[in-house]
Amino acid sequence: MAETLQAHRLTDALAAYIEGGISIVVSSGDAGRGPTVGRAVGCRVSADRRSVTVFLSAGANAALLEAVAATGRFAAAFSEPTTHRSIQLKGSDAAVTPAGEGLQTLLDHHAAGFVRELTRIGYTEAFTRTLLAADPDEVAAVTFTPTGIFDQTPGPRAGDPLDP
Amino acid sequence: MTGAPAPASEALPGGGLTVDSIRNCLEGIVPATIATVAEDGTPNVSLLSQIDYVDCAHIALSYQFFNKTRRNILAHPYATVQVVDPDTVAQYRLSLRYLHTETSGPLFESMKARLAGIASHVGMQGVFRLLGADLYRVLEIEPVPGLRLPPPVRKRNLLAATRRACEALSGCTDLEGLFDQALADLQALFGVGHAMVLMLDECGRRLYTVATLGYAKSGVGSEVALGDGVIGTAARERTPIRITHMTCDYRYGRAARDSARRASRAGAGESTEIPFPGLPEPGSQLAVPILAERRLLGVLFVESPEDLRFCYDDEDALATVAAQLGTRMLAFQQPPAPAEEADAADPVSGPQGGAPAVVRHYGCDDSVFIDHDYLIKGVAGAIFWKLVRDHVRLGRTDFSNRELRLDPELRLPEAAENLEARLILLQRRLAERCDFLRIEKTGRGRFRFSVTRPLALEETPKG
Repeated sequence: MAETLQAHRLTDALAAYIEGGISIVVSSGDAGRGPTVGRAVGCRVSADRRSVTVFLSAGANAALLEAVAATGRFAAAFSEPTTHRSIQLKGSDAAVTPAGEGLQTLLDHHAAGFVRELTRIGYTEAFTRTLLAADPDEVAAVTFTPTGIFDQTPGPRAGDPLDP
Repeated sequence: MTGAPAPASEALPGGGLTVDSIRNCLEGIVPATIATVAEDGTPNVSLLSQIDYVDCAHIALSYQFFNKTRRNILAHPYATVQVVDPDTVAQYRLSLRYLHTETSGPLFESMKARLAGIASHVGMQGVFRLLGADLYRVLEIEPVPGLRLPPPVRKRNLLAATRRACEALSGCTDLEGLFDQALADLQALFGVGHAMVLMLDECGRRLYTVATLGYAKSGVGSEVALGDGVIGTAARERTPIRITHMTCDYRYGRAARDSARRASRAGAGESTEIPFPGLPEPGSQLAVPILAERRLLGVLFVESPEDLRFCYDDEDALATVAAQLGTRMLAFQQPPAPAEEADAADPVSGPQGGAPAVVRHYGCDDSVFIDHDYLIKGVAGAIFWKLVRDHVRLGRTDFSNRELRLDPELRLPEAAENLEARLILLQRRLAERCDFLRIEKTGRGRFRFSVTRPLALEETPKG
């Protein structure tokens, strides 16, 4: 299946899903430097729903942020632990941007949602909050325009392009 | 970070962390994350339900679907994986190089069993299915900076427990004592509540239970076919098989029940099945092959109603105990020199009274029934039939292992290594099923068959 380069406008439902406090794992890199991997601690969709910003600890993701700056390539997988429903967004114009206003509120919102999700499948709140712990002063933002949206729910359809 | 050539030695470069250091992250409790790049350089990121420890420099990932990760790895064999310690939340990044995929054999089977447990735990039975075990060399392991929780205090030190158990086994003087000691140590030193020792039969196709711990009915004499469930797979592949969550994929009994139904005699309604004693709803199971001199002797099996009861360290500990058990078993199974075994003693009849018990023997499978209750079959059944015949016809009560080994009618294999184990099996079945027949050891290679009720023998010949 081709990874189309057409920019997508996310639906309200998809925007709400990825902003809802679920698992976010991200990658950047290219064939030369190989893949980097990291975990994000929050997500925001732009008002026009054409760009997505994910937030992550700069200290824990130095190589990944370097790869973003160098390549612009970015992949972010969103997964709801209680249902396994997963999607992956990809873009090639990713840039490290200032975190912007309201960061603490956004981090709190993400943590609350993720705690709710993981508590339902047996994780302690302490576990989830430790996993997402990030000092707002050192949180970096990566903003990109999704040009590929893929179903990643485990099963034979995983990898199929989705209508946004 | 990636793209480096695979190091020639097993040690990771930089003298840093090895896979051994982070094994707790590979228990399949918290999903890991894998990042790969396509040929055109586009990154891909995905969650990973299972990573298996192979050795200090290798891991295996489950290949379940031909997805983007899979296509990328085949085109560009480098991946970066982030794992989480389920206790401390410590995270690590592993730089990996893909080597090859295995679709059968010990690594594949142990991953398949674990994946079945993981799938049923997360509600993905029928979705998660292992197509292959992808083997990777670990190039580098890097801790991810971040907060951690204090590590939990462990209930026991498995290394100390292993040492004590091995010391105790080396002090045993016979096979029966060895089995009992092994199970007692599993309980006392490892906190195991349910365990079994099974032996491989002479044909190498089935395992029979010789000693158990913690079950309402001992199940001694019950059988598991090679390849059936956790125990049969561990035996067939000669590798530990461990399940950390309950799964129906590795349940016992169906195959055993079917074969028992076929074997049961129409009309008589007599079944030769001894029910397998396992837990009805096991959360965790671990079967470790008992090997000695590269031969499979049997399986040591433990289980628990709890999920995640046995981890990698438990597997290592039990494998070590099983190795010691195997060495000792082999020593006891060597037939002693003829001089050590006295010839059968003079016939002595024990006190007898009451109505005769009917002992029926079926020549087709050497199964034996006492007053219509199934006792035993196979080699142990043939031995028992010889003992009762010699007792009824000749009044004998004292026997030697040597004469059994040499008896042409018993047709024991040349080495007859399992004779001792068969006698233990027979002795335990009699102790459980019958209060007027008993086997008592009277010396090395000698025993007394004590009978306190008259016996009436009925033979159903072969065919």
